[in-house]
Amino acid sequence: MPDFSTEPLFEIARRLEIRGETGWLAVLSPAADSAADLDQLQSELQSILQMPSRVIQLERSTFEELREALHHPHNDAVILSGGTGLTQEKWRSLDLMRSALERRGPVVLWLSPGDIGNLTDHAPNIRSFIGGSIFLAGPDGGFMTEAERQERLKELSEHFGFSGDEAVRRAAANESPHEPEFVEWLVLLGRGDLL
Amino acid sequence: MPSSVTTSEGQLNRRDKFRAYMQAFNPTAPAWEAIRAGLVLENLHQYLYRNLAARADLEPGSQQLLVGGVGSGKTTELILAGRWLNKRSQVLPFYVDVSTETDLSSLNSGALIAGFGRQLGRRLAEGPDAKGHTDERRQKLKDSYAKVTDYAYGKTELLLADENDLWVEDAISEGGDVPPRRHYWHEVPGKLKPPLPPLNRDIQEVRAPLEDLLFTAKEVHKDVVIIFDGLDRLLDATKFWSVVHQDLRLLRELKVSVIVTAPLSVLFGVGVGQSISDFFDRVHHLTVIPSDSASTSLESVLEKRGVTNLLDPAKAYLICNYSGGVLRDLISLARDAAEETYVSDRDFITVPDIEKVGRQLGTGYLRGLGTEAINALLHLESSKSFDLSQPSNVELLLTRRVLEYSSTDFRVHPALQTVIQRPEPQRA
Repeated sequence: MPDFSTEPLFEIARRLEIRGETGWLAVLSPAADSAADLDQLQSELQSILQMPSRVIQLERSTFEELREALHHPHNDAVILSGGTGLTQEKWRSLDLMRSALERRGPVVLWLSPGDIGNLTDHAPNIRSFIGGSIFLAGPDGGFMTEAERQERLKELSEHFGFSGDEAVRRAAANESPHEPEFVEWLVLLGRGDLL
Repeated sequence: MPSSVTTSEGQLNRRDKFRAYMQAFNPTAPAWEAIRAGLVLENLHQYLYRNLAARADLEPGSQQLLVGGVGSGKTTELILAGRWLNKRSQVLPFYVDVSTETDLSSLNSGALIAGFGRQLGRRLAEGPDAKGHTDERRQKLKDSYAKVTDYAYGKTELLLADENDLWVEDAISEGGDVPPRRHYWHEVPGKLKPPLPPLNRDIQEVRAPLEDLLFTAKEVHKDVVIIFDGLDRLLDATKFWSVVHQDLRLLRELKVSVIVTAPLSVLFGVGVGQSISDFFDRVHHLTVIPSDSASTSLESVLEKRGVTNLLDPAKAYLICNYSGGVLRDLISLARDAAEETYVSDRDFITVPDIEKVGRQLGTGYLRGLGTEAINALLHLESSKSFDLSQPSNVELLLTRRVLEYSSTDFRVHPALQTVIQRPEPQRA
């Protein structure tokens, strides 16, 4: 059975960043109990997109609550969490209200791997918004070996055309280029505090 | 270090270039934004929107149905029709996306009327048409608007109790503000307030205030057209029919032209198609656009949005093929291919990028399919025949795993086709 691409949460956030406003995608959580991963996704979105992010639990939200939550505010990043799985009925009712879910800021559906079939079967209008943007959450830069980290630092230095020291200097002087790769560089340099 | 600066500027330009491309290929951007940005090909469906608009304009009270699968471009056609009416005729058009106004899962008859009445009332009582009336007329309009709003959202009214109603005393004692004796507060639920309880009130109740508003509207504008979007979300044709039937009857009596969207199941659902074509003056079917060599429409859609900024035009057909002609899939694939290119640090989309995102899309369609459904798809692939009397086959159509190129030409979505595992051929 073919599977979806595995991407570190950092890369997933980077994809949303390049899309600009109103991006939708789905992330399949790596484990049943994935609260820590969900927290990590939320902070990755916050740092890469440079905007606040929120988690909204789908199972507990009524039509009115969801509509209200998504539009006030309408331009931050929102993670709609399906928890351990939604009922078919819940998917159908979410699908009916897809227009009411449309907003200016990005939307990430955080789903258990088994729920993707329900999304396709019972929420074709939401699936249509997601398209092929379904990713399996994979290990991030924190799981890199030292050799991988050094290799990535070298790539980033070549990418920007200056050294790591210079990157730190620019960040400290508030001259950071507005690019997700620069955020990644600072994190890998251990200077996430400058973000 | 001039060379460093140049590299950085180069990266910045690269990012800007991808960002601009992504904005043009945003499958979730509101249709009106794409229209306003000049990204829409107006003749894609042979100017269908003009047919919709002209009929609504020339034949007051006409009722047209726009049927199409998910992501086929219905909303774009509706908004184009509304704009055309607004610019070129004396008609006053309204666009209502019912699914943003109310919870469709508990929608009842009366809700379409309520949504329309609110927009009309707001326009006449508070909007650009509110000026120039006498005080008496203005007050009457406000009263009618208030009645329509009550109908939409419900109200609490004070009713005179029947002398013999023994439970009145209890109702009074439970209330916070004690009303005069022998009266009680009665909650009248609205049409748009979720969740909706079953309603028994006659839809005619709102007729008088609506007629009053329409009378004023027609003094300024020639006629009124209402465009109802979002009803295609009601995938169950029976539910769709139960919602629209009474409301559209009243609107026909009031000589309001209506254009309404519907899901594919109204055409192909068992026992429903006939009643739909009898009821509506015109049924427009927005079919999938073929991506074969005879048609370059899909490539024109990509070109209009600037695909050639990142893709060799000779390879655009690959994106078209994977999309199967579903417009939103087409836009998504073009966006996703560029995204792959960007995260891989390349400057131009390659064939493997397109193949990767095509397979991703197909994998999404594949999930949830059981053996029986896969067999049905393989049967369609080999025999070209598709039995729509089977509810499970209608489901395949509604979920876009099967696409309809005409009322008799059905095919498996090409992205799905690439990931379906086929049984090993048996050796003799």
